[in-house]
Amino acid sequence: MQQTGRIRLILNDEDIVLDDVPATGTLLDWLRLRRRLTGTKEGCAEGDCGACTVLVGRLLDGDLVYESVNACIRLLGSLNATHVVTVEHLAAPDGALHPVQQALVDHHGSQCGFCTPGFVMSLYGLWLASDRPGRPEIEKALQGNLCRCTGYEPIVAAAEAVAATRPSAVFDPIERTRADVKEKLAALAPRQTIRMGEVGNRVVIPADVGALAEVLAAEPKATLVAGCTDVGLWVTKQMRALDPVVFINHLQELQAIERSDGGLTIGAGVTYTQAFAALCEMVPALRPLIDRIGGAQVRNMGTIGGNIANGSPIGDTPPPLIALGATLALRATAGRRELPLEDYFIEYGRQDRRPGEFVESLFVPAPAADDRFAVYKLSKRRDEDISALCGAFRIALDHAGTVTYARLCFGGMAGTPKRATHVEAALRGKPWTEATIVAAAMAFEQDYTPLSDWRATAAYRMLAARNLLMRFYLETTGETAQLHRFEEVA
Amino acid sequence: MQFDKPATTNPIDRLKVVGQPVHRIDGQLKATGRAKYAYEWHDPNVPYVYGYPVGAAIAKGHIVSMDVSAAKEAPGVLAVVTALDVGERKKGKFNTAKLFGGSEIQHYHQAVAVVVAETFEQARAAAALVRVEYAEEIGAFDLKDAMKTAIKPKDVGGAPPDTAVGDFDGAFKAAPVSFDATYTTPDQSHSMMEPHASIAVWDGEALTIWTSAQMIDWWRSDLATTLDVEKEKIHLMSPFIGGGFGGKLFLRADAVLAAFGAKAARRPVKVALPRPFMVNNTTHRPATIQRVRIAAEHTGKITAIGHESWSGDLPGGQLETAAMQTRLLYAGENRMTAMRLATLDLAEGNAMRAPGEAPGMMALEIAMDEMAEKLDIDPVEFRIINDTQVDPEKPERPFSHRDLVSCLRLGAERFGWSDRGRPASRREGNWLIGLGVAAAFRNNLLVPSAARVRLDHEGVITVETDMTDIGTGSYTIIAQTAAEMMGVPIEKVVVRLGDSRFPVSAGSGGQFGANCSTTGVYAACVKLREAIAQKLGFNSEDATFENGEVRSGNRSVPLAEAAGSEGLAGEDTVEWAKLADSHQQSTFGAHFVEVGVDIATGESRIRRMLAVCAAGRILNPITARSQVVGAMTMGVGSALSEELAVDVGRGFFVNHDLAGYEVPVHADIPHQEVIFMDETDPYSSPMKAKGIAELGLCGVSAAIANAIYNATGVRVREYPITLDKLIGGLPDVT
Ligand SMILES: Cc1cc2nc3c(=O)[nH]c(=O)nc-3n(C[C@@H](O)[C@@H](O)[C@H](O)COP(=O)(O)OP(=O)(O)OC[C@H]3O[C@@H](n4cnc5c(N)ncnc54)[C@H](O)[C@@H]3O)c2cc1C
Ligand code: FES
Ligand code: FES
Repeated sequence: MQQTGRIRLILNDEDIVLDDVPATGTLLDWLRLRRRLTGTKEGCAEGDCGACTVLVGRLLDGDLVYESVNACIRLLGSLNATHVVTVEHLAAPDGALHPVQQALVDHHGSQCGFCTPGFVMSLYGLWLASDRPGRPEIEKALQGNLCRCTGYEPIVAAAEAVAATRPSAVFDPIERTRADVKEKLAALAPRQTIRMGEVGNRVVIPADVGALAEVLAAEPKATLVAGCTDVGLWVTKQMRALDPVVFINHLQELQAIERSDGGLTIGAGVTYTQAFAALCEMVPALRPLIDRIGGAQVRNMGTIGGNIANGSPIGDTPPPLIALGATLALRATAGRRELPLEDYFIEYGRQDRRPGEFVESLFVPAPAADDRFAVYKLSKRRDEDISALCGAFRIALDHAGTVTYARLCFGGMAGTPKRATHVEAALRGKPWTEATIVAAAMAFEQDYTPLSDWRATAAYRMLAARNLLMRFYLETTGETAQLHRFEEVA
Repeated sequence: MQFDKPATTNPIDRLKVVGQPVHRIDGQLKATGRAKYAYEWHDPNVPYVYGYPVGAAIAKGHIVSMDVSAAKEAPGVLAVVTALDVGERKKGKFNTAKLFGGSEIQHYHQAVAVVVAETFEQARAAAALVRVEYAEEIGAFDLKDAMKTAIKPKDVGGAPPDTAVGDFDGAFKAAPVSFDATYTTPDQSHSMMEPHASIAVWDGEALTIWTSAQMIDWWRSDLATTLDVEKEKIHLMSPFIGGGFGGKLFLRADAVLAAFGAKAARRPVKVALPRPFMVNNTTHRPATIQRVRIAAEHTGKITAIGHESWSGDLPGGQLETAAMQTRLLYAGENRMTAMRLATLDLAEGNAMRAPGEAPGMMALEIAMDEMAEKLDIDPVEFRIINDTQVDPEKPERPFSHRDLVSCLRLGAERFGWSDRGRPASRREGNWLIGLGVAAAFRNNLLVPSAARVRLDHEGVITVETDMTDIGTGSYTIIAQTAAEMMGVPIEKVVVRLGDSRFPVSAGSGGQFGANCSTTGVYAACVKLREAIAQKLGFNSEDATFENGEVRSGNRSVPLAEAAGSEGLAGEDTVEWAKLADSHQQSTFGAHFVEVGVDIATGESRIRRMLAVCAAGRILNPITARSQVVGAMTMGVGSALSEELAVDVGRGFFVNHDLAGYEVPVHADIPHQEVIFMDETDPYSSPMKAKGIAELGLCGVSAAIANAIYNATGVRVREYPITLDKLIGGLPDVT
């Protein structure tokens, strides 16, 4: 393949130009093995432990934002026009520790120390994002970092101490260079499609969405990479060779979030973090789910587009989006087509995506003001765990309390995210009472034949689905309140 | 030094540095990422290359043939070394499964080859091209089946597999109240954050190896055996270790593969085991099936107590000593324990933090809760009624110091234990709330430990011992010990650990590291004090070391001056005489836990935890607290989520990564508190300290299980206590 262009980025305070990037090379291996920046650790190479956390700065709507990411599953080719900041960059030139580092030392937040640089970077990401974070924000920022030694409490104490005593003037490596970096990154955005590597190992960074459509038309088997949070694992865990790899995370056209009266249009490249802010504004009941998808690093990289496109039966966003009646826009050189999100999932492993098509955006209609909506995620471990099941519920009642509209969708109950149409039918036109719920709950058996696996047994899934319907009912009647830890976070 | 009499007053008792909350001296290095772990040693002038392991794809059988031609021709490949190439090797003393070599496959992911290439990606890609043809044999993978043919081993780590006192069967039948139940604990993974990694560099016949090892000398000896080289030719280093929990006690495949790979490629080779290898290639805590029987009078006095345990391992392996604590923890005239070993063809079962007691207490302490309920006696009181101050199997042997009762009483008072109600009686919104208690118990082990201490002309004390710091704080407490003994501020002490050129220490394991290694340093400091006194013509008996000076009568000399330009050194080993025979040494505690269980879904959330520990002198309250809090957190995992799922058809652990093996995340962990009883144990060592690092894990999972029962009225006897095991029995949502 003819090489056009190079990948340019900033690493700490060094300008980097790369013209030979392996298609499946990860940021972590590059940092540790090539750049000898071994402060960033590898604990799992699968996005689970956070030992590899670094910050990535990028331009978003003209602002320079820094976000924590997992370097182990982030492919190096996705970093054009970014600023990568590692733990080595934090201390002042005279060796003075950054306040987040000092606090971890002072509060004994480090034992074996292997997780520590990752925690440092997550806390530094929080430091940049928030002046005086409260406990819920701290907990969210640390969700994606595992520690097997300390029991976490000392680390949280360190974060709280930083928040309470935040010094106004410190040596801050990012603030110091913000204006300069912003200017540099603006100049690095690709003006033409970047291509490098030989067949078997090709990297393509399309200049815009039109170029993306053309690349896909020519190479329908190309692997699209948005946030790398699925694809990264194909590389590090399944050792899959991918060719060509087409990066789309930088495409500004796929980053748009448009609010209209009818709802919200979210570009396929919008990260979880950005999308959730807008989605939760429109549907606050999404918050408890959204705060439990991955950890901060995964949410800063992963996209809803990817969560849908991968077709997984246990992705967490399709159930609520289907319950909300979302539609998907797919695009190819030939044009654009739209379809209801639920129709996209045909069966396990098969989606309605034609050769050359990519997901362009998602439209989520605003629920009516008095619609009742809730979504519940059940997992073996509360945080940073894949759902055993995820259920979304939306109903509307008339003034007499009769169900006029019901839409329920579950993940983890079938080979795809799937609506409980029999339960919906059993609710529709009935009074919203316990008796209706008890009767309707029996219809789950017609909708689903769940599997047993190590996350949960079929029997548990079935019983829990029924109980969740009951819980939803009780919450709508005000009999029980949801208890969760992140409710205060705006 | 022979420690053969209980300690009397010594310089440690000054407690100017020892016992003080001294911050970890390596904290800065870790917070800045400058602490160098095994894979990170790097000399820019050395052309390191990368080795990637290939693991067996079957659980049991033989390799028929291997085709490495494609791998050898792949870009960048320098060498491919197979198990057939290196042939049968002698196995190290501490390994059950062989690590590499020969055609036999004993378990899934046993190493069958290492591919060495210029870059990591090239090695990984070429490893996928190695083709192996196997002859598969039928293996045993299910403990429930295999227990039927379990055997009684001759001894279990020096103790008998069975004990019996009085007439257990008769007393059990005759008692007015009796209880009999069976519990299971699953296979568990250490899942420390740093995976195993080694770098091997050959210089002729001499091998230098950087690795991640808890026990320097064990690794070095076993590596010498496996490679068939002289032990003295191996220089092994492990100054920083990203956690171990027992997973790095014994030589592992990464070191062996790196050594063979480096020899074949004639280049220095780095090998890291990928995370999934941690589960199926290395060791794990084996699953147990345990039967506990307790009989008592209506007053709560235990008349008979019996504990049987079954666990599995590869042929030639060891059992999990889960019944051990029941020989010592509670009184009772009639008693029995029995432990049996089944053959399983899973990866090697071996020590994980608090082997024996951790799973044993998970069963025994639920049984105590169940029995208390049957007797209608408060579970705290029931334990107190059955306290014993002597080894109940050998009443002539007292405990050196045992204060379990105070731990229980103080904990109950601080935790608000009196608020505990009947099962399933307390509800807040969606949450059923419950409280639980368990005793904590772990033996105090004594292992020889040596150190060398040097004084230089600047008055700096340098301690050298092959002790390791796996996150436990060894660097810090060793510095404190030397500072106290030599009367210098801690800033004047340099500690160098984890190097086979240093005197052989106890190493890190079995919660013996802190007490034994600091005693080794104490002994070396005594020698150094003598050398200093002798040089100055002081009588070493009445020389005092304080404020950087040594004083005798009205003469005092700064240490820097005493050292002279040559400096002075002392080296010694502590050997433990028979004190442990006459006096049983153990550590004690009490765990209190409050949980909430979601009534609609069975999700459990821990709300509060408290541990009260009685473990001799606390050498540093910060590092000790860190150990206990970390252990309590591990106990949350083992109660609620940690379980290696066995594929009993194919014979391997399925959830071999951190996505599927769920260790606690920080949101799982609520407020945790630790109280240390103010005590010293002169029988344990001149430090008067005992182990603490494992005590915090023993019992905590049972306290959680008991709290869940109190919250829900559902008794789960199969760990982990996941939502599916609760949901069927929960009270109605409305
Ligand atoms: C540690 C960890 C925790 C996680 N936790 C959760 C969780 O709690 N809940 C959950 O639901 N998921 C979870 N995930 C998975 C989740 O992050 C992904 O499903 C994510 O949403 C995928 O988005 P991405 O942008 O990273 O996709 P990528 O990995 O970049 O791509 C995923 C797939 O989508 C395709 N694709 C991406 N964009 C497009 C497009 N525009 N058009 C067509 N195809 C496209 C890719 O080709 C690929 O097949 C977790 C992942 C990790 C690593
Ligand atoms: S190494 Fe574990 S998340 Fe990246
Ligand atoms: S300090 Fe060891 S994993 Fe966190």
